[in-house]
Order: sequence, then structure tokens, then C-alpha cells
Amino acid sequence: MELDGKRALITGAGRGLGLAIATLFAERGARVALADIDADAVQQAAAGIGGEAISLHCDVTKPDDVQRAIADVVQAFGGLDVMVNNAGIEIGKPLPEISDQEFAQLMAVNVNGVFYGIKYAVPALAQTQGCIINMSSVAGLDGVPLLGAYCASKAAVIRLTQTAAIELRAAGIRVNAICPSFIQTEMVDRLVAPFEAATGANFDDLAAQAQGRLGTPEEVAEMAAFLASDQASFVNGSYYILDNALTASVL
Amino acid sequence: MSGLLENKVAIVTGAAKGLGQAIAGGLSDAGALVVLADLDEDGARSAAVGLEGAESARCDVRDEQDVTALISGTVNRHGHLDVMVACAGVATVKPIVQMPLEEWREVLSVDLDGVFLCTKHAGLAMAGNGGGSIINIASIKAFGGAPATGHYGAAKAGVVSLTKTAALELRAAGVRVNAICPGWVGTDMVNDRKQELEQVLGISFDDYIAHVQGRLGEPDEVAALAVFLASDRSRFSSGTAYVVDGGATASLV
Repeated sequence: MELDGKRALITGAGRGLGLAIATLFAERGARVALADIDADAVQQAAAGIGGEAISLHCDVTKPDDVQRAIADVVQAFGGLDVMVNNAGIEIGKPLPEISDQEFAQLMAVNVNGVFYGIKYAVPALAQTQGCIINMSSVAGLDGVPLLGAYCASKAAVIRLTQTAAIELRAAGIRVNAICPSFIQTEMVDRLVAPFEAATGANFDDLAAQAQGRLGTPEEVAEMAAFLASDQASFVNGSYYILDNALTASVL
Repeated sequence: MSGLLENKVAIVTGAAKGLGQAIAGGLSDAGALVVLADLDEDGARSAAVGLEGAESARCDVRDEQDVTALISGTVNRHGHLDVMVACAGVATVKPIVQMPLEEWREVLSVDLDGVFLCTKHAGLAMAGNGGGSIINIASIKAFGGAPATGHYGAAKAGVVSLTKTAALELRAAGVRVNAICPGWVGTDMVNDRKQELEQVLGISFDDYIAHVQGRLGEPDEVAALAVFLASDRSRFSSGTAYVVDGGATASLV
């Protein structure tokens, strides 16, 4: 299988995209470590995957937590081949209504967390010529009403990805990002009410018009599995959009 | 990857050599029945040797009748077309102020008109038959200036734009349309022009490649992305230009 022998650490793996990525990676032969700030959820998630899957408690806003999670994976699996910086949070409010604390917290998870995930994974990944996959979003490519803080954080993830890719190329480490549009996750479910209140439109109609349908977490996981595999050996510094043509339209 | 494209019928243009040949091989290895099309009929036939069930055909992608014959012939023989890879492309090396109009038009006719015709007629065939995946081979030269290859870059930018429009127009019919934008890959198209490029650009080609993307890409590395985009694993991917360039375009400098 494509990911046989790979050892992967996935942050934000207690639910949503992170859980789907961990599940598919394990199906394709990888040994997976699921990390999340929600210790109960991630423990259940790892148990559900079974096999050699392990769970780790990790708050990605804390550099010590991220360092420890990486050290634990190296200890448990003997090395790290794939680091998936997936943990992220959203705020669905107009910019003036976002509290300073909320904004700082979102940046701490979505940007600082990815920075720590890159920085502290490098020593282990240099040993294995491994790769990093960062979860960005199509919201990192353009503005979206109610998602200003989230957009800014996901744009930052793309620039971190590109710079890391160039800096780490000589060490044999690939770094890429994925930019999904609206996917069937709890995060998107939470945004339905604020979107409908702000636009007066039905969210499903908006999604259908913009991207045909909602994507599934499994579809995002497939993209991650491709980028994690040796099939993607020349893909580096890229952000792979996954949006069923949402961003293809200028209208 | 075997079995990923089981029961799929694919056409690859420009399949006699280079990226097209590698993509045809990749699709075939993954289980697809591949029709290798090229202006060089003998080359296409040779490239098909050893690929299970593969066929070859002569096709001048500039000629609408050739393209319709290729696609309708494939559909008639096999009942459906699932994957179209528009890969046929040409390039010369010349600054814009020295470029004869005929040379400009020649490159545009293959690299842009050809992709338009393949997208149009594959889109028609697939939309009437439950959908499919169209993969247009563009280039990172679609995204910025490319000294001495202005015609090629303009054509490839056009390919990215038409890919996005086609993706929107064909989404409801279940036809996905994506582009692949390779960086510098070790094909004849690049290797044969190394000296010319060094003369026109005044740089060491090998130093340049090492600086911008570490090394030349392998045709198989582009083929692997084509296989992914051809497969149902990428069923939510459409309207995107996927870059495979070793990091070349990630950097501002």
C-alpha cells in the first residue's frame, strides 16, 4: 500500500478532517499518532482506528506540548515520516465583533500551532527525508465575510508552507498545504447559523451554487494521502486546492 | 497503484514521448485502457508497446476533425471515455521582439487551440455519459513571465483559464477539469533546448535548475499526479491548476 512503513503524526485528530486523515493513512498502511487538545475524543478516535494507532494529548499553542508529542511519536514508532499540522479553530463573526482575545486565540492555534509543528518536526523529518502537510483553506486565498480572522490565519499557513519548503528542500523534506473549501465537518456545521443570519440565504443553496455540494472529510484525506506518499516526490511548496471549482470562478 | 483506474478508458495526446508517454504509462499501470495519440503515429505505436490493452492513434490536435475522430472512435470501440489528458505541446526559444507571428501562432495552435479542442470534445463525450476527468497539461510558466518562451507561457496561461471555465460549465454534468503545472522536467523538450536557453538567458542551466527547484523533475513524478487526478480519489478536485515543481514557484526570489 502507498503509505506502508510511514509513521505519521496528525494534530487535531480527535474529529473532522484530522480523524479522517488518520483513518485513511492507517488504512493505507501507515502507523498513525493522533494528537488533540481533547484527550477523551482523541483516545476514542485512536481506539476506533485500532492496530498500532496511538493517541496523544497536545495543545498546539504550547511549544512544549508539540515538542513532546513529536518526541513521543519518535519513541513509539522509531521515527517520524509525515507531520500533518491540521489542528485549527474558526470564528464566524464580522471583524469588529471579534474580541481581541478570540483573535489572539485563533492565531495561536491556526498559525503558531503550524509554526511549532514545522519547527519542532524538522529534526525528526530530516532523519527520514519526510514531509509536512499543513491544513490551509480556500479562505486563505481570498476574503470571506465572517471569516476574517480565519482567512488571515490560513493565508499565513500558505506563506509558512512555501518558505519552509524552500528552506528545507536541501534536507530532503517536502512541505505542502491543502486548501479545502466547505467540507462536511462540525466546524462547517457551526458556521451555518451565522452565515444564514448574515446573508439571509440558505447555506445548502449557497454551497450548492458555489461548489456543487459539500466535500467530505474522506476526500480531503485522499489529497493528504497523495501528498504524504512517494507519488508526490516532486510536489513541494504547493497549496493544493480541493473545492470542486469554487475558486475557479471570478464571479 | 494498480487497479486504481480499473475499467477506465483514457486518451493521452502527445503520448509518443516525454510527459505524455510517462502519463500514458502511469495510467496504464493503474489499470486504465489507454489510447496513445500523437502527430507522430509511429512514435505513438512504439510508446504503446508493452502497455496492456493500449492502442495508438494519429492525431493532430490543431485539427478539429482529427480530435473528434480520436474521441468518437474511442467511445465507439469502448463504450465510454473517462479520462482525457491533453498533453500535446511544442515550444521554441525566442524573445518576443524577435518572434515571427507565424512561430507565435504555431505554438498557440498546438498548446492552446489543441487543449481547447480536446476539452471541448472530451467534455461533450463525458457529459453525455455520466462524467469523467479532463487533465490539461499546463506549466508553471502560466503564472509569470518566462523569458524566451512568451508564446508558450501565454498558451499555458490560457490553458489554466480555460480549465477553470470548463470546470464550472461541466460541473453539473459530473465532468471534472483540472490542470497540471509542472516545473522543469527532464524531457526532450527541456534537454534539447538547454544550450539555446543558456545562450538566450546568459545563465548556466544546471545552476539555474539547482537554485530554483533543487533538481529536474522526472516525467513519472508528473504522471503520478495525473493518475491521482484521473482517479476517483480526487473526485472533489475540479477547476484547479496543480503545481508539481519541487518548490520553484513557492519562492519570490
